[in-house]
Amino acid sequence: MNRTIISIAIAVSLSACSSLGVEPWEKDQLARADMALDSEKLDLALDDHIYFSKEGSSGGRSLAGGGCGCN
Amino acid sequence: MQLKNRSNISKALAIASCSLLGHSAQASANTEKPDDWKVDAAIMYYGEEDRVQAVEAIGNVQKAFGDESLLDMKLVVDSLTGASASGAVAQSETQTFTRPSGNGQYETASGETPLDDTFHDTRVQASANWAETLSPVWKTNVGVNGSKEFDYFSLGLNGGVERSFNKDNTTLALSGAYTFDAIDPVGGRPVAFSSMALRADYDTEEEYRAAFDMTRMAGSEDKKTMDMMLSVTQVLSRRWLFQANYGLSSVSGYMTDPYKILSQVDDTGTTQSYLYENRPDSRLKHSFYMMTKGALDAGVIDFSYRYTTDDWDLNSHTLETHYRYYFSGRFYGQVHLRYYQQQAANFYRPFLMAGDPLPEYASADYRIGDMTTYTLGLKFGQRLSGGHEMSYRLEYYQQNPENSGFDLVGQLQDHDLFPEVKAIIAQVSYSF
Amino acid sequence: MSIQEKTASSGFELTRRDWGYLGHFRAMASPCELLMATEDEHLAREMMCIAVFEAIRIEQKFSRFIEGNPLWKINHAAGTPSLIDNETASLLQFARQCHQLSDGRFDISAGPLMKLWRFDGSEIPDLADIERARALVNFSKVSFDEHQVQFPDGMSLDFGGIAKEYGVDRVAYLLAEKWSAISVLVNFGGDIACPVSKGAGNAPWQVGIENPQRLDSASALLEIRQGALATSGDTRRFIEKNGQRFGHIIDPRTGYPVVKAPRSVTVLAPNSVTAGMLATMAMLEGEQAEIFLSEQEVEFKCFR
Repeated sequence: MNRTIISIAIAVSLSACSSLGVEPWEKDQLARADMALDSEKLDLALDDHIYFSKEGSSGGRSLAGGGCGCN
Repeated sequence: MQLKNRSNISKALAIASCSLLGHSAQASANTEKPDDWKVDAAIMYYGEEDRVQAVEAIGNVQKAFGDESLLDMKLVVDSLTGASASGAVAQSETQTFTRPSGNGQYETASGETPLDDTFHDTRVQASANWAETLSPVWKTNVGVNGSKEFDYFSLGLNGGVERSFNKDNTTLALSGAYTFDAIDPVGGRPVAFSSMALRADYDTEEEYRAAFDMTRMAGSEDKKTMDMMLSVTQVLSRRWLFQANYGLSSVSGYMTDPYKILSQVDDTGTTQSYLYENRPDSRLKHSFYMMTKGALDAGVIDFSYRYTTDDWDLNSHTLETHYRYYFSGRFYGQVHLRYYQQQAANFYRPFLMAGDPLPEYASADYRIGDMTTYTLGLKFGQRLSGGHEMSYRLEYYQQNPENSGFDLVGQLQDHDLFPEVKAIIAQVSYSF
Repeated sequence: MSIQEKTASSGFELTRRDWGYLGHFRAMASPCELLMATEDEHLAREMMCIAVFEAIRIEQKFSRFIEGNPLWKINHAAGTPSLIDNETASLLQFARQCHQLSDGRFDISAGPLMKLWRFDGSEIPDLADIERARALVNFSKVSFDEHQVQFPDGMSLDFGGIAKEYGVDRVAYLLAEKWSAISVLVNFGGDIACPVSKGAGNAPWQVGIENPQRLDSASALLEIRQGALATSGDTRRFIEKNGQRFGHIIDPRTGYPVVKAPRSVTVLAPNSVTAGMLATMAMLEGEQAEIFLSEQEVEFKCFR
């Protein structure tokens, strides 16, 4: 089904991943604070809370932490 | 060429070199060891036009212990006031509704969307997370979180493990969480599909009370959630990275909104009674998320897409992007765009027809109906001395509920049953 | 050297000696060595990894031969401000102090002049070209603060005169911070630093200084327990024309290599950047090199 196709796609892209990447000393740009995946964690947390309360679906980027009575 | 006091040169050089080497010992980004506390704080205002208003304050503290451990603690306090749609439909006549507690009622003018303004609630949430680097390629984390509001209590545990491959270019992460929620609604939890008792229908207070109590069940309800997420992060190049996540969530327990109702109307679209809604007691959700983030010379950009689907048949697509531009070394501006589209849950209906048999589940909550939302935001950030940063954010969020194919009978055609909800979000953050 | 060749040379060799371990690798266009007074091979390897990483990091960032690196971007900003980090700002501050202390003889904006004088056996540049390049050399036109640097279009910065010594000191300090009791001598092509003393009970490190006339065989043997050593000289990079040898130190005020400069100058100082800067300034003094160094009250050796 759709889910099988997507999990195969993820597995294939994982094996292709072994050829991608940079040497450790080439990670200067990626080491920037603003390039961290949680660089604006408060904004992301506040947004997640708003959309969790006002919309019918949630999650995706990370596991939702903490429940509330809204949805 | 005037001769200086030459012997000063070597001493001056030695001093200059100390400031070069001493200073740069902390400056190199790659060898930074954050042993200090890192604090982020923000306060946010959310306001819908004529409806809900909320203020939320977050404080987040991080402390690194050496190179291998990190403690992260967060405290959130939010306060909600204002009115939100109860699920009943607008009518050409004034409508009267009973409050969830049974004490008192509220009215909606003709042509207006019924809004229940009973909600004044404050919530406190606290969480703590511990991350540990076990080896150059293995990392683990464990956390606990809890929240409390007047009618709600939640407690959760989460944990995860990460393995990096390929010189840290590829990271695989598996995480899971278990959350237990207890709901003790104001007035007690309503009996599913029971009819709202209206004071006007009874002669005495006692009769009304008896009827109201018939629509209530004592005791609290609970809900258990199991979450799992598989995540792949991949460095694409010196400037770009990519992440893909698959999430699975299984919820069981009380998921009905105890404060939401449906209008039961006749062929002319006139309301005969209000029924308390009923939702299934289990939900299995899947989410697929992909994002890419790029380091530009004078900025950062990211794009993400999320698709969710579940056994309520509520599917959604989300497209989001952030673009940051540095006007100078200290000042940046950032644009945020988000597009969201969802398809109604299979038990969603804007109203019920009197005379039709009752379905097993039904809810008129527009938040699980067909809906498209748009967000447009602007943020400005300033880097101050000592590594402090201050930022301000202003966003406009519009929700457009849509009719997912229901025939509007009689007078319902004269009213907007799917009104837009417009909101402003304003936030100030400070970190040091 | 292309970036591919550079990454290929990121490995190192480790050899056991009776006093400890000798590690060897190539970076910053020089043979680089670490002499580590430890019996622990695993530790020696760890030290080498740190040293190689840091040397390559600095080279990648400040080399003027790598297209697209931070220095290249600063030099191609065409007069607009460039964002810089703390490290670059500190180096600029140091360069400014050296510019002032040397009365303008040391100038890292002498890039256009350096480009003209290619020490690979080719001709001496034209007077007209030299004048044009000299007009673009003036460090006082470089304005910078903690976060950005800006200078007129056409000018360019070259950290070649400090980057190697800076690299030596950075590696030496990183290792000393982590292993404060183990004596390590860092040697990047003649720029040496040893912050942790070899200890009075042990034999000191022995460093050979090249005789300019007979390259590759040590002429004077220097014994060092602690401190830094830098050598400035024309031994390997020069242009010879009409029997006259032009060394590779250019005086930005004339546009020509310094006249009557010693063949090589070696200076002992507390750290490598100080030693290197004193050696460079001595060369820039030309005939006055020895007098200048005597006045500085540092140990030195000049070959003429």
